[in-house]
This record gives sequence, structure tokens and C-alpha cells, in this order.
Amino acid sequence: MVSRTTTTICPFCGVGCGLNLRTEGDRLIAVEPQLDHPVSRGQLCSKGWSSAYGIDLRERILHPLIRTPGGFRQASWDEALATIGDGLQQILDEAGPMAVGIISSARATNEDNYAAQKLARAVLKTNNVDHCARICHSPTVAGLKQTLGSGAMTNSAADIFETELILVFGADPTENHAILGGHIIRAHLAGTRLIVVDPRRTRLAKLADMHLQLKPGSNIALINALLKTILDNHWQDSEFIEARCEGLAPLAAAVADAYEGVESATGIDLETIRETARAYSKASRAMMFYGMGITQYVSGTNNVIALSNLALVCGQIGRPGTGINPLRGQNNVQGACDMGCLPNVYPGYQPVADPAVREKFSRAWKTALPEQPGLTSLGMSKAALDGIFRALILFGEDPVITDPDQNQERLALSRLDLLVVAELTMTDTARMADVVLPAASFAEKSGTFTNCERRVQHVRQALPPPGEARGDWQWLAAIARQLGSDQLDWADSEAVFREMAALTPSYSAMSYPRLDEHSGLQWPCSAETPEGTPVLHRNSFPIGRARLIPVHATAIDEPADAEYPLLLTTNRLHFHYGCGSMTRKSPLLEREIPPGLLFINPADARGLGIAHRAPVGVRSRRGYLETCAMLSEDLPPGLVSMPYHFREAPSNQLTNNAQDPVTKMPELKACAVAVEPLPPGQVPRTMDQLNAERGGIGI
Amino acid sequence: MMPCYHLDSVARLRSHLGRAYQIVQPLEDVGESAPPLVSPKGYFFAEQENLFVFDGECFRETLPQPPPFVLFGVQSCDLTAIVYQDQFFARDPYYQARRQQALLVGIDCVTPCEHGFCASVDAGPGVKAGCADLILHARAEGGWLLLVGSDKGGEAIHGLELAQADAAELRARDGRIDDCIAAFPDDSHLHRGIAAINRDRVPDQQWQQLGIQCLGCSGCTTLCPTCSCYGSRDLPGEQGDIRRQRFWDSCLYESFQREASQHNPSGEAGERVRRFWTHKFGDDFVKTFGRYGCVGCGRCEQTCPGVIGVHSVMRRIADYAPDDDV
Repeated sequence: MVSRTTTTICPFCGVGCGLNLRTEGDRLIAVEPQLDHPVSRGQLCSKGWSSAYGIDLRERILHPLIRTPGGFRQASWDEALATIGDGLQQILDEAGPMAVGIISSARATNEDNYAAQKLARAVLKTNNVDHCARICHSPTVAGLKQTLGSGAMTNSAADIFETELILVFGADPTENHAILGGHIIRAHLAGTRLIVVDPRRTRLAKLADMHLQLKPGSNIALINALLKTILDNHWQDSEFIEARCEGLAPLAAAVADAYEGVESATGIDLETIRETARAYSKASRAMMFYGMGITQYVSGTNNVIALSNLALVCGQIGRPGTGINPLRGQNNVQGACDMGCLPNVYPGYQPVADPAVREKFSRAWKTALPEQPGLTSLGMSKAALDGIFRALILFGEDPVITDPDQNQERLALSRLDLLVVAELTMTDTARMADVVLPAASFAEKSGTFTNCERRVQHVRQALPPPGEARGDWQWLAAIARQLGSDQLDWADSEAVFREMAALTPSYSAMSYPRLDEHSGLQWPCSAETPEGTPVLHRNSFPIGRARLIPVHATAIDEPADAEYPLLLTTNRLHFHYGCGSMTRKSPLLEREIPPGLLFINPADARGLGIAHRAPVGVRSRRGYLETCAMLSEDLPPGLVSMPYHFREAPSNQLTNNAQDPVTKMPELKACAVAVEPLPPGQVPRTMDQLNAERGGIGI
Repeated sequence: MMPCYHLDSVARLRSHLGRAYQIVQPLEDVGESAPPLVSPKGYFFAEQENLFVFDGECFRETLPQPPPFVLFGVQSCDLTAIVYQDQFFARDPYYQARRQQALLVGIDCVTPCEHGFCASVDAGPGVKAGCADLILHARAEGGWLLLVGSDKGGEAIHGLELAQADAAELRARDGRIDDCIAAFPDDSHLHRGIAAINRDRVPDQQWQQLGIQCLGCSGCTTLCPTCSCYGSRDLPGEQGDIRRQRFWDSCLYESFQREASQHNPSGEAGERVRRFWTHKFGDDFVKTFGRYGCVGCGRCEQTCPGVIGVHSVMRRIADYAPDDDV
């Protein structure tokens, strides 16, 4: 009866809402929103409200497991660690450090992520460390790094209430970042102008003043036409460009012919383009948000650069209520990037290639550090297929479900000599592991998450880890010890944070007590900005002057054709998160959405003889799956869409692995498919059933 | 008239009650003039609870057995909601097992809270007779009045030395509550909205427009102190047993009323939003429960990310109210 309330942060998306966990003894009995949280103000989305189900003990992995020919058997931590240590050592001896790597988790804390990259670099001596930002915002980091010098949301959630116009580009915030999406609704109802650019008629598109329903993959054509309109009409902010940017002349030259074919390429008429350009450039403060509809293309990095050009030319950056604001998908994807779980940078984006930086970390960690650049996650998969990458430690991710071209991903993981997975529940990826480690959930450990507005927030332990589960940095430290290093032997998570903050300039004035005092602090937070930084780039950019960089439209890799006549895009649903390993444990959320679905325009469905909720087969050049059709006017004719949450009908069976040349971001937002009706009444076969029937790559 | 006493300190009452009851105080400071974000309904109607266990042969009852407890410092809106829930769950043994163990100590609100409008729906700000076992009232001059609302309340303070308060004190309490009522902001949008709902004047199109803003988060129904819908599921245990669990549900979910055939009488979000507000303000519910389903706590306004909490909705539909009704 006596309940205790622990103040912490929601484990789902990058908004980072305040969440209270109410516990009775060792039982989580309820979750509540925090009334005084600076971002969420007493609100949660369906996922947040259901988070108690996500970590309940049913189906949790409670002990280390070791694969045997007959299946997994329970093992002690000592045995599991010895198996991992011996395996790693043998592969390091035989093939060297480039044959091993770590895929870290954007769900885990900053402390966990810091430990993961330190284990890779200081103990395994490899820069092969990456995480799922590769498939969400790596183009943001790469693009904005070039144009501004920093690849994060420039402004804050609170700025939504200080702007005159909100431009949402390729993002569906009411589903994926619901509380922030709600802020946009609130601001719009109070008079803020709302323009949505999206191939799908999203919830915000239905409420917006204007919806530009562009064709998938035509972002740059549209943005360049907007830029041309602005420059032709002298609507640009010349003073700002003069003072703070470089490269206007080449950009102006590059967009001079941007009207040619733009209406047919984008599906947007010139009048609408003109009105959008006028509204955005003339607003005293305009705020831009974007998401996967910008980044998940072969042109992902260039798409980001194009948006950056647009904001810079209009001077819509560096002030409250403006900015370029990527919506980060996972609770701590910003933090995992900040912590240097990327193959080319240390914590705080300090480049591995810089000898002075290497020297700094080498001194701090008291060991020599590798110079050779590391592999990305997809690079590790490819190297595994080639037999030169042999051991992978992975946690809090399920790439078999969430990465493109599922069959290739499965094959790559099956080629490894050692796969270690730490997880809450048996995901499809964990089922392929040699050693499975029981991980503690967000409610069972302490640490910090960094939300998409760069706010570092304290996550507090409310429950003991179940069974023998451990926090991630703890088992990472145990592996380090197994390999003879005491470099990860911290006393507690606060000690990890202290070490990290001392090495990471943008976190240098943060500490747990200061985070608690301020309800989180937004980086950069250093001696010069001890109160944090809600708005970036106020007076200058990290690279001095911002760069305007001309980019040209690139066609999508695989347009629809006679054989695969429909274009498939992917979307997310408010009710589910990632691979669904947490949200699908809620009986309510699980009931809400059938396990797998394909959204299709009624006209397309009629042409194919497909009724609402009818079973369908969907085929691409890479795979086949069965699911059920949801007829929806929200999709234009010719475009179908699938969420990627469902292992029964994983969209990544179909998606294209063609990649952005800069970041290796796969083109998840567009590939060609054929959809066919299945006999009425037939229950769609799950991916497991289809795999079993064709006796193919199975688990 | 309720017996009324002077009380020098709330702490003294709390520690006296603590001898026989476990103290549960939802508010950090009893004197706060706003209800906590989370209503106390979960103390009686648990968010998740087992109904029974089937071990393969027998069904075993899993009734909760809480110790006697006091809900200390509950505002009038929430107390009114408990009375409402008492009717709904009158024959629910799980609810009643907890409810019978509870002593309710209410507290009068003397200043309006941000989103509250209890006075507009006859649910406050002063605690009404029959809603609490004991009632606390903060006197303007300092100190407290303690009113005894039930025999159970009278027994609970047995042995506590208290001076009787006179009729003037009770009049002063009424005056303070009246002042509080007068201080609430204009509520005409609520009355007009209620009229529009009950005269069925709100066009479908308007409900659909509001439905677009319903994200289906379940926040309103979770925080609403009178929402009582639940779902159930059977969970396999480790020894081959099965436990039936019930859990809070939400009528705003698309799947709430979806039938096995996939037919859904409330498949459109606008339909569901209309149903929710009809349940809160429909005259038909007054016949069953003796009052509206809404107790004016305003939590939905605070927690709705889609900006369709009570004030937001009522402002949007108020203009449809028939002129003769306002």
C-alpha cells in the first residue's frame, strides 16, 4: 500500500518527457506524467502511458544464456563473461582489432554509451563503434556539420510557442514525437501558421494551413525552387547572409534553373511554391522541423544541406522561435552521438582523425588508441558477409527488424564467429546470438538521457534489476576486466558521467546535482555557458561563417516500374516504437494495431481488387511478405506505406539498401513494390511462417 | 449539521489517525489548492490487478486485502468522483475490498485552481456532505476547522482532544467557499457546450475536426477520476497456471469497441470524442448517477497533448448551443 514515486525520464522518443514511476516494493504499479517538466508539462503519449507494460517481468531475460546446438542454456555471469572474453581474445589474436566491433544503443544512457565506445577504443583498440543513428539522423550530423558545424536541433521545444510559422518537412511528429507534435497543434490553434511538406496526409497536414504533398524523394527539387523564388524576389535576409554566411553566389547560380520540371518532379505547383517561399522568408520568426522524410534517402545528406540553405538564406536561425530542428527518434540518440558511439568521433564530436584529440583521450584513458577509422554498422554487416569482421557486441537494438534488407542483415549476423547481445527480451537479433546477456531497463538503473533539444536529463532507478540483469555499463566493464583492463571500473554511474564530462567540452559544466537543479541542462554547457544553451548559433557558428552549399536533386534509387508498379514508403505509428519489443507488451497498444499493415489509397486498392483489411502479399526485388491492407486517403495514388514495428510483417523485408554516399544511410523511404490480393479469408502468413516454408535463412 | 471542531495542526490529526490507519497523502502539502495530477481512483480501482488464478483445476480468488488506510487531504472534485465510482463499482468485490478499508479526509478548496471548474458542475470547491468522513477547512485567520462527515469519521477522531467550533465558524467556512466560487473565471463556454451536447447541436463535421486532434494517448481517461472502463486478459503463469488480469482501458482507442468481425461502431476518432464528452455531460447519465460524469477537475485540459481537454472542446462547441438554452 505504501507507494514510492521516482522522478525519471520517458524511455521512448527523443522528446524526453518527464515521467514518474510509482512503485510498491519491487513492483511498478503506475506511471504518471510530471506536471512541472519543462517540455512535457504534465503530458505523455500512448507509449509513455504504457511504459509500465514495456518493462514488466513477463518475457524478460533474467540470466545470461549461451547458445548450444540444442538451443540456449542458462549460464552464470562468470561463464558468459569467460566465453565472451576468450572469444574476443581469440579473434583479436587471429584477425586484429578491425575484426571486432560494438553496436551501441540509442535507448541506453549516456553512461552506457560512453562505456561502449571506451571499451571499443581503449580495450578492443578499434573504432568500429556505431549505433542506429546511422539509419535515422546520420545525414543530419554529416550535413549540418558541414553547413553549420553542429548537427543537432538548433532550438528548443519551448520555441514552438515563440514562433510565427512552423514548417514541418518529412516528419510526422504527432505520431513519433507526440508531445512535441501536440505543442505544434497548440501553437497552430493559437495562431501560428503551419505548413507541412509530406507525401502522406499526416495528422498535422490535415490541420495545417498548407499541405505540400510532394512526391517521395523530390525534397531538393522543391527546396531549390523555394530558394530560387526567395532570391528572385529578394526575400532573402541579405544582412544575415552578409554577416554570417558564405557561398551565396554559387548557390544562387545553382538554383537559377530550379523551376525547370519542378512541378512534375514534385507534384507541387509554382503558385504553392511561391506562397510557401513567401511565408517562410517573410515570417519574423520561422521554425523548421524535419524527420526521416529528409534523411532516409540516398540524397539524405544533401537533403539536410538543402534545408540548411533555406534557413540560412532567410536568416531563420540563431534566434528564439527559428532554427533547423531535426526530430530525433530515440530517447537517447542525441546522447549516443554525443558520447562518440560513431566510428569517426570521440565524445563531443572530437575527431578520431585529429592526432591531438587522440593524444588527449590516450592520456586520459592511459592507453594507446587506434588511428584507423572504424566501420559503420552497415559496414560491419558488409565486412561480416566478406568474412573479415568476426565478433560483434550489440545491445538495445534489433537490427534484424529495424535495418534495411532484412535477409542480408540476417545472413551477415549468421556469419559472425561471436555475437553478443544484451537485451530486455528475446528479440529476433538476440535469437541469433552466441551469448545473450540480461540487461536492466531504464527503470532499473540510473544515468542520463539527452533529448532532441540537447537537454541532458537525469534518469533515476526505481526498481532493482530483475534476476541477474545488469546495467549496460556494468557488463561492458565486466568484459573489459575479462580482457585485462580496469579502465571501465567506475564506482557508479555518476563517476562515469564525471569522467565523460571532463573529456567532453559541451558537457563540461554538467554534473548530476546541476542537472537536478535545472530540470536538465541543454548543451553546450561549459564554463562560458553554465546555464546551458537553449538556442544555438546566436552570434556565430562553430565553423565561423555558415556555408551555403549548392546541392542538386538526385532521383530515388528504385522508382516504380512495370514489374513493381507501386512505391513503398515507411512510417511509424503513435502506438508503437521501434521493433515493438516494449510497446507490444501493452495489451492496449497491441490491440490497437493489427500486427502488420499496409496503407494503400482506395483507388489503387480498387484497381487491384483489394478490400479494406483484406490480406495482401507485398513483393520487392529483395523480399516478400504478407500483411493486411488498410485503405486510406492519407496516401496518394501510387504510394503505399508500411510501419516497420512488426516482426510478423517487417517492412525491412522489402526496403532498399541503396545508400547515401556520405553517411551510408539506406533509402528506407522509397522502393518499388508489387502488391497482390491474397484469397479472401486467408490469414496473412507471418515472416517466420514464410521463412519456415521456404526453408530459407531461419532462426 | 455536521459536528465541527477547531484543529490547531493537521499533523496532529494525521498522527492520531495513523494509529489505526495507514496514511496515504496524495498531495505533498495538504494546503495546496489544486488536486494532484493523478486522481486517487487508483487506490480503489487498481490500474492493473488480478481477478482470479486458474491452476488447471480450481479457480482461486485474488481479492485484495489492504490494511485500513486514510486518504488524507482529498479535494472535493475527487471526493465527488469517488461517490460516483462507488455507484459504478457497487457490486465489484475488488473495488469494494479496498473501498471498505478507506477513511476519506477531504479538504475544502479556498482558491480556484488553474483548470478547475468544480463549482460549475456541483462538485466543489467545498467538500459536500456525504462525500467524506472528515473534512478539513483552512480558516482565513489561520488554523483549521475539522468537520465530521460520517459516523466512521467520528469514531476515527475518538480520543483526539478538540474544541467545538461554533455556528459562526461554520458560516465563515460557507463564506470562504462562496468567495472561492465567485473567484472562478467565466464558465459560460461550459454551460453552452453542455447545452450543445444535450440538444445534439454539434455537427458531425465539428466532432471529426476535434477527432483529428485526438492522438489516442489515453491520458484523459487515465487521469479522469470518473472514468472506469477496463479490459481484461489471461496471462499464463510459470507453473502452467493462468491469471486473469484487468487493466484500465480507454474509450478513445480505436480498438476499444472494435468487434471480432472488425466491425466498429465507433471507428472514427470524432465519434469517440463525441462519445467521451457525452458520457461526461450527457443528461442521460444524470438519471443513473444523479450527476454529470464530469467533476470539473480540469486534468484532461492539462494532460491532453492534442488540445482537446474540457475547456478547449467546450470553447469550440459552445457556439452551437441553442440561444434559448443559455
